[in-house]
Amino acid sequence: MRPARGEGPERAVSAALRAPLGTLVKVLPALLLVTLALVGPWIAPHAIDTPVTAPYAAPVGDAPLGGDQLGRDVLSRLLAGGRELVLSSLLVAVLVTGTAAVLGAVGAVRPWVGRLVERTADVLMLLPAVLGILLVTLSWPGGGRLAVVAAAVVLGVPYAVRLAGGAAAPIAATGYVEAAAAGGERLRYLVVREILPNLRSTLLALFGLRFVAAVYLVATAGFLQVGPQPPAADWALMIRENSAGILLNPWAVVAPSAAVGLLALSVNLAASALAPQTGRKAVTVL
Amino acid sequence: MPALVLAQVLKRTALLAVLLALVFVTVELLPGDAADVTSERGESAADLARRRALLGLDRPVPERFWDWMTGLPTGDLGTSARGEKVTDLLSSAFPNTLLLGGIALALTAALSLTLGCWAALRPGGRLDRAVSGTATAVLALPEFVVAVALVLVLSLWTGWLPAVTLTGADGSPASWDMLVLPALALTVPQVGWNTRIVRAALADEARAPHVETAVLDGLPPHRVLTHHVLPGALPTIAAGLATSTGMLLGGAVVVETIFNYPGVGSVLASAVTDRDSPVIAGVTALTGAVITVVLLLADLVRDLVTGGER
Repeated sequence: MRPARGEGPERAVSAALRAPLGTLVKVLPALLLVTLALVGPWIAPHAIDTPVTAPYAAPVGDAPLGGDQLGRDVLSRLLAGGRELVLSSLLVAVLVTGTAAVLGAVGAVRPWVGRLVERTADVLMLLPAVLGILLVTLSWPGGGRLAVVAAAVVLGVPYAVRLAGGAAAPIAATGYVEAAAAGGERLRYLVVREILPNLRSTLLALFGLRFVAAVYLVATAGFLQVGPQPPAADWALMIRENSAGILLNPWAVVAPSAAVGLLALSVNLAASALAPQTGRKAVTVL
Repeated sequence: MPALVLAQVLKRTALLAVLLALVFVTVELLPGDAADVTSERGESAADLARRRALLGLDRPVPERFWDWMTGLPTGDLGTSARGEKVTDLLSSAFPNTLLLGGIALALTAALSLTLGCWAALRPGGRLDRAVSGTATAVLALPEFVVAVALVLVLSLWTGWLPAVTLTGADGSPASWDMLVLPALALTVPQVGWNTRIVRAALADEARAPHVETAVLDGLPPHRVLTHHVLPGALPTIAAGLATSTGMLLGGAVVVETIFNYPGVGSVLASAVTDRDSPVIAGVTALTGAVITVVLLLADLVRDLVTGGER
């Protein structure tokens, strides 16, 4: 019944291994940076919360990127400040992609679910994501990181469902799914066994796009001081905290800015490499 | 046609009403209220109850919901945790944010149309690849990263533009050049996004039969572009720009805190310190209304181009 030729994550991995070299080259920077952010806290030379220099000290031998507003080592805080951003963003991307996959597949079989998600997306279009994050985090003072992740997931799902639903609709209209539905298979079976296995490449691309969006949102929440709280080391928070001393020690601002910027760029590059090549359409007639 | 416009106004207004209800429910359902978060250490339960009564938080939920929904059309955005009218807090800040967002939207429209058309005229060429590649790269950058880069280069190293906004006596920015860097920081990511939309919309429209006819008639490429391709692509481009409005208003909150610009961002910065949820609820209601208006304009563009069929 099911045309999917294999199953499980092994297939996704083997597909990635067979990907052309170009795709790997584009995914590599993101992988390196994410790995560096994850292991960074272990290789930081100094503690992140004890001063080692004067406030906003210029780079010296012991602190190659100088000190921050309290004289803490900028390099150590830079190495330590990416893990939470990366982990939160990954969590958001996984949750959004998973929810969107299920809702999109259900919506393809049960049209009313699809219509409901469409209307929700129309409503959430009126709520800028940054304001949505602020709304949730300020209304939920004890929420912490959970509040940021929850808000980012809720705000991201409707758009992601549109994409997943668009890919699921043609599959739901194929003979084998219609035959299974007519044969009295239950919704759960149709979604999990018939539709989702055929959405793999769409979902991989969707995951990339949602990771890009999540990095933007989680970093912005950090910058607006509703994410990690001092004295935590966080790239976005470092930019906010040290901007007053940008003339004294520019590195305290430039280094975390470059880190966030490079993470966004490399993840975006990887996501566009994973996206199915709908082709950069040419305007050939002109 | 008028009936169609009316139907769209009704639909968009209904969606806005749903959003406003959703905002109320979010603030209401999540644990903690405005009286809790402004409480000081050692405050007794009686003090807390008194302030809750002062802020009207002791009244039943349906009653407060009714007040919130019926107050909004009259311009009443509720009361902050400190007991001030949210409308008063925003009365001078919101126009400043709209000014900044409006400038950024105009810049975005002009730049993305120019770059998109320019790239579309030389498909597959070096310029097309450079424009499309750069557009894809910058669209994911958070505004505050762009802002830091702009401040470093255009202000601290070259000294061309002021790095902070000074506020004049009337509560608006003291001089026009203080608007340049905040507007640019907002514009760069949105230009990336919209250039791709313009480029793709032009490519789609270029395959329409009437465009082929125009080309076969021997019209020069730029005339085919402006008179035959662009009009049909306009609804998609307008919808893209309308979507950017929300991103611009959200980004403005971030960018304003960097440049100390006297807008909604600075009001929200103190709301963050105080954990003042009614203020953010009021701001959300206002931006929702602005985005609704812009989406209606995009609907109107689509109706004008397609003659109302769809």
